[in-house]
Amino acid sequence: MGDTLKTLLMIAWLLPLFGFAVEILWGPRGDRRTTRWPAWMAVACIGSGFLCSLSALLIWGSGTDWAVLQSHDSHDAGHAAPSDTHHEGVEPQEHPAHESAQQNPIRPTAPVRANDAARWHLTTAADGHASDAHQNAHTAAGHTDSPSDSAASSHGQVPLVYHGTIYRLAAFGSLILSIDYYIDSLTLVMFTMVTLIATCIHLFAIGYMSDELTDEYVDHFVHTSDGGHLHRQGRFYRFFAFLSLFCFSMLGLVLAGNIFQVFIFWELVGICSYLLIGFYTERHSASTAANKAFIMNRVGDFGFLIGLMVIWTWFGTFQFSDLFASLPRDDAGRVVTGEYGEVALALPDGSSKQIPYTLLVVAGLGVFAGCIGKSAQFPLQTWLPDAMEGPTPVSALVHSATMVAAGVYLTGRFYPMFVPEVLLVIAYIGAVTLFLAATIAVVATDIKKVLAYSTISQLGYMVLGLGVFGWAAGLFHLITHAFFKSLMFLCSGSVIHGCHHEQEMTRMGGLRHRMPITAFTMLVGVIAIAGLSIPGLIAFSGYHSKDAIVATALAFIQANPGHFLLFLLPLLTAGITAFYMFRLWFMTFAGEPRDAHVYDHAHESPWIMTLPLLILAPLAAFCATGGEDGLLYRLLAGSEPNYVAAGVSSTASGLTLPGHHAIHEVHSTAGTWALVAAIAGTLLAWVLYGTKAVRVEDMKRQMAGLHRFLTHKWYFDELYDALFVQPVHQVARFFAWIDRTLIDGIVHFAARLTVLASRWDRLFDELFIDGLVNLVGRATFSVGRSFHVVQTGRLRQYVMFIVVGVVALFAVLFTTFPR
Amino acid sequence: MNPEVLLSLIIFAPAVGAFFLAFMDGRAVDQLRGFTLFTTIVTFGLSILLWVQFDSSVSGIQMAVELPWIPSWNIWYRLGVDGISLPLVLLTGLVSMLAAVASWSINRLHKGYFILFLLLESGMMGVFLALDFFLFYVFWEVMLLPMYFLIGIWGGPRKEYAAIKFFLFTLAGSILMLIAMLMLYFQTGGQEHSFNLIELARVASGTSEHLTQGLTPSMQITAFILLFIGFAIKMPVVPVHTWLPDAHVEAPTPISMILAGVLLKMGGYGIIRIAFPLCPWGTQAAAWVLVAIGAISIIYGAFAALAQTDFKRLVAYSSVSHMGYVLIGLAVWKMNEASQTVNADMWNMGISGAMFQMIAHGISSSGMFFMVGVIYDRVHHRNLNEFGGLTARMPLYSGLSAGIFFAGLGLPGLCGFIGEVFVVLSSWNFSHVLAVIAASGVILTAGYILWALQRVYLGPEYKGPHAEDITPISTREATVGAVLLALAIILGVFPNLLFSMMNASITELVTHMQTGYEHAAAAVQNLQAMR
Repeated sequence: MGDTLKTLLMIAWLLPLFGFAVEILWGPRGDRRTTRWPAWMAVACIGSGFLCSLSALLIWGSGTDWAVLQSHDSHDAGHAAPSDTHHEGVEPQEHPAHESAQQNPIRPTAPVRANDAARWHLTTAADGHASDAHQNAHTAAGHTDSPSDSAASSHGQVPLVYHGTIYRLAAFGSLILSIDYYIDSLTLVMFTMVTLIATCIHLFAIGYMSDELTDEYVDHFVHTSDGGHLHRQGRFYRFFAFLSLFCFSMLGLVLAGNIFQVFIFWELVGICSYLLIGFYTERHSASTAANKAFIMNRVGDFGFLIGLMVIWTWFGTFQFSDLFASLPRDDAGRVVTGEYGEVALALPDGSSKQIPYTLLVVAGLGVFAGCIGKSAQFPLQTWLPDAMEGPTPVSALVHSATMVAAGVYLTGRFYPMFVPEVLLVIAYIGAVTLFLAATIAVVATDIKKVLAYSTISQLGYMVLGLGVFGWAAGLFHLITHAFFKSLMFLCSGSVIHGCHHEQEMTRMGGLRHRMPITAFTMLVGVIAIAGLSIPGLIAFSGYHSKDAIVATALAFIQANPGHFLLFLLPLLTAGITAFYMFRLWFMTFAGEPRDAHVYDHAHESPWIMTLPLLILAPLAAFCATGGEDGLLYRLLAGSEPNYVAAGVSSTASGLTLPGHHAIHEVHSTAGTWALVAAIAGTLLAWVLYGTKAVRVEDMKRQMAGLHRFLTHKWYFDELYDALFVQPVHQVARFFAWIDRTLIDGIVHFAARLTVLASRWDRLFDELFIDGLVNLVGRATFSVGRSFHVVQTGRLRQYVMFIVVGVVALFAVLFTTFPR
Repeated sequence: MNPEVLLSLIIFAPAVGAFFLAFMDGRAVDQLRGFTLFTTIVTFGLSILLWVQFDSSVSGIQMAVELPWIPSWNIWYRLGVDGISLPLVLLTGLVSMLAAVASWSINRLHKGYFILFLLLESGMMGVFLALDFFLFYVFWEVMLLPMYFLIGIWGGPRKEYAAIKFFLFTLAGSILMLIAMLMLYFQTGGQEHSFNLIELARVASGTSEHLTQGLTPSMQITAFILLFIGFAIKMPVVPVHTWLPDAHVEAPTPISMILAGVLLKMGGYGIIRIAFPLCPWGTQAAAWVLVAIGAISIIYGAFAALAQTDFKRLVAYSSVSHMGYVLIGLAVWKMNEASQTVNADMWNMGISGAMFQMIAHGISSSGMFFMVGVIYDRVHHRNLNEFGGLTARMPLYSGLSAGIFFAGLGLPGLCGFIGEVFVVLSSWNFSHVLAVIAASGVILTAGYILWALQRVYLGPEYKGPHAEDITPISTREATVGAVLLALAIILGVFPNLLFSMMNASITELVTHMQTGYEHAAAAVQNLQAMR
């Protein structure tokens, strides 16, 4: 079965890449520019991808006899587990000295390694034959455990995972980097979700982008220097090429079997996002937003890289399966630490290594920093609203449903590597983000901006859910949110298209008469995100998933009362969410038209755009039916790391992470609270925007300060500009100055010094050395000259000199030497 | 083919071509161009042949050539190739070929230009294939002179200044190298002195059969410093880099391509071929400083690039930044108290990453310089603030440029990513602080490249002079860009093509350095014992 799944998912993954290549290479030639074939090509690729993913999911399900659905009732397991969990949780406190790696039986935490006999694993044969991953069938029977068998529920509940290598990137001794795959139910659900939503959005985009099907596109947002609007060739093919490339990258990210590969596709979705945000390259705001998105993501990726460095240095592998198995956890799910806070890693090659606990925290925070960037969490949230400069289908696919959820996905995927301290940070980041973004959404008037802030806020919910130990709850919300948010973005796209690129809600109103399908499907999405329900009768997806998160948060603060904000903020924000979403709906679709011109020209979108809405609406409403006993939740929960269900009590830093049982106990309480908040928010929105009971303008004036603060998005852009952007440019100028003035100054000084020295040298040469030589010359000359007197040439005189000389010589000889 | 013939042909085929060019009619420009291109294609073909004959499972030197040259000084004509030099030979062949295609834009004194161009290629090939220090030095200097004239005659407005600056900087490095070379020659050997790089490396690890006496540890440090400065100037690293922006800005496009694509690699190659194996003790002593210089270069170069307004200067500073990764990767050699390398595989990865980065940078930066050249040929300016709107006017050119600039940005799937990220991953093992500094470069790199792309290619309309001269990219130009981009993609997706070529040699180097270090450490202990 593993090979079949791998093949199917790889086809689904690579088809969009093929589509991209064809579209980008053949698209721009000749009259193909103005035909729809690139779109159909892209739809065919991603549509086939969806079919592959869906069949993979079904094959996986039937191959396991849908074990995840029949397996333990989560509550029963929860009931069975706690008794011994508490027991184990208490004991170490009584005998702290016993808490050591030797005494607590180390249980591999990872989904993958727990039971080697019943495992697929990559053969260590070095040549990277992926399919060598051989199967030791881990049949469903192996882990359908009965509630009474608590041992099985804590040990045997190992999720089914297929993993292996596709090809090798590099090998240095024992260090191996490769392109891997890792398939569990989370992968399959993500694949199906991404391909399905992408197919819908591709279809929608055929209609939305159809005005690009021309050689004379007029961009009304760009003014040329002669005062007119910009005319350019249409770029229909390019849009679909980029969308295809994005799908390829996103699916690669989900399929990745190691964290390094995730990083690769992480950056690739980043660049696709850059290309799509900046699709209207002529608009300065668009290209600036694209740059901002990519650079802010890189800030997060810098952290990611640090995390990778730590992991690589200490674990020597990036493979999820090896990493998860390396971290020792005791039976209660705690990471086993030694006497000095070090953790003895059980490395894949069988050796052991002591890693300081702090470095585990650094690694976790580092990887999560990447998630902060990608999922637009506080403090890197400011790029996402700007990213709305891209065409609306892009916002729907990339900036709400899939790519931005990648951060949440990675947090879930990499969960076993996050120690409780990191989880706490994750929870707080999520809580701050969800509140902050929701407050800004309340005052936003651009329909897409409202949705953008709502996306940030909902991502905050997911992150919070993961942080408070609601693994499945967070990912559950990821999937439901993907459906209802993509639906709402497409609806907003339909509105924008129908209103001829008007995005300001202050100029809309009453549009439900003009575009009934859009209005109705949007309402479905709004109800879903607001989390409204009639208990016991009907509940849309958002109700279930948000409930799961809020319940986890409540269980978390009951165990750790100091962190009460982690419950208070999401509860409060549940109300705010309902308020701003209904405000959006009322302002757009209900009431009187605010701008007659917009209203008169508004029209319902063509079938190719409303069809995706009609497909997505039921999914958005009912994909989570059954809540935590439903299909979707169970599928996801099947991949939950096995120590999560029972919870982890009394970690080293004193946190208690709630198990399923504790969460279940408070579920109905939390659900009620959340519902009350949502209903309150809805009512408030209705009063303010649905009726004319209160004049909103007056309220704005009364709270002008707060309003300004919120419309300026808490002044984050200004703050970052002053804190980072300007200083960076100043430092850059300073370094350039150093180069030109200081370093080159020294070089030039040295050069001038050399010239100066050589001048002196010349002077020295001319004056001193030449002077000396000349002096000698002159002296010789004058000596010679003085002999001139005697050198007469007359023989008699010479003979006389000789005679006188000889006589003198003899005189000297005879006088000085005695006989 | 017989290795002696093949290796010599690779080196001298361009020189022979230059010889024939000398007898051709200087006015027949197309013939001159065609013949030069033909010569570079032949040379590249020969280097491909070398690759075919190369056995990547062998770690040492292959296809060694040894002929006596100046016997009285024991100087030999020694050539050979291993996994470290082969990729660089291939790169040289490729970049020279593409630069020859790019040389169509040269518009005066064609004959002299092409003769010098081919001589330059001979010198570069010689540097990468020589295994005798003396021969290496000769080729090193041979390559210097054509470069000087190519910048000084065919360059931009400040060409004389740039050429002299280039020449003097490099010469200063050469002299330090010369001192080190003579030091190695006279201080090692005992009975017999040698310039043989392989033997000199063996001396350092105490395994030589011919030479009995090696450098003392302290002399190793001196020799290493001299050699390092010499090579660092070429690389270049901060603070001896300022010749680079000037040389690049003034040099004509094809020469910029060669300068960035090949010449800078000689610094790195010299370090890995000469400075490291000949002075293992010196290397270890200087490792931390090297990594620190590398980290500073990355950050400094990136910041400086951010502040530039000249497109070509920006690309030049990006080279400084990228070569910083090379230095880091080479030097992340961590020793413990017991003279054992800590996590040798990690250092292996660092060196491999550095080598990969050299090749990747050779592809991406020569591509970037070419792309700057293409637009410069049309509008005759490089002011970043006076471009804009090129995507609409030159769509294919903009697409290719974006791809190549993304390779420079270190985008996964393109070659720049692998080198950078492998180096960064291997560096945490060495020093946390320096690793974090190096990693922070990714933000700045994204900053300056994206900002440049925005100012040049995006936006509604072109803002500078000569707007009427903007014509779509020609087939010739597009070919150069497409080849480079295709290579960037291939190497980015299948990096093992390159790694598997280098692996055996680099593994051997790592082992050699360890033995060499132990050898020197034993000498130090002996000295202490004698005292």
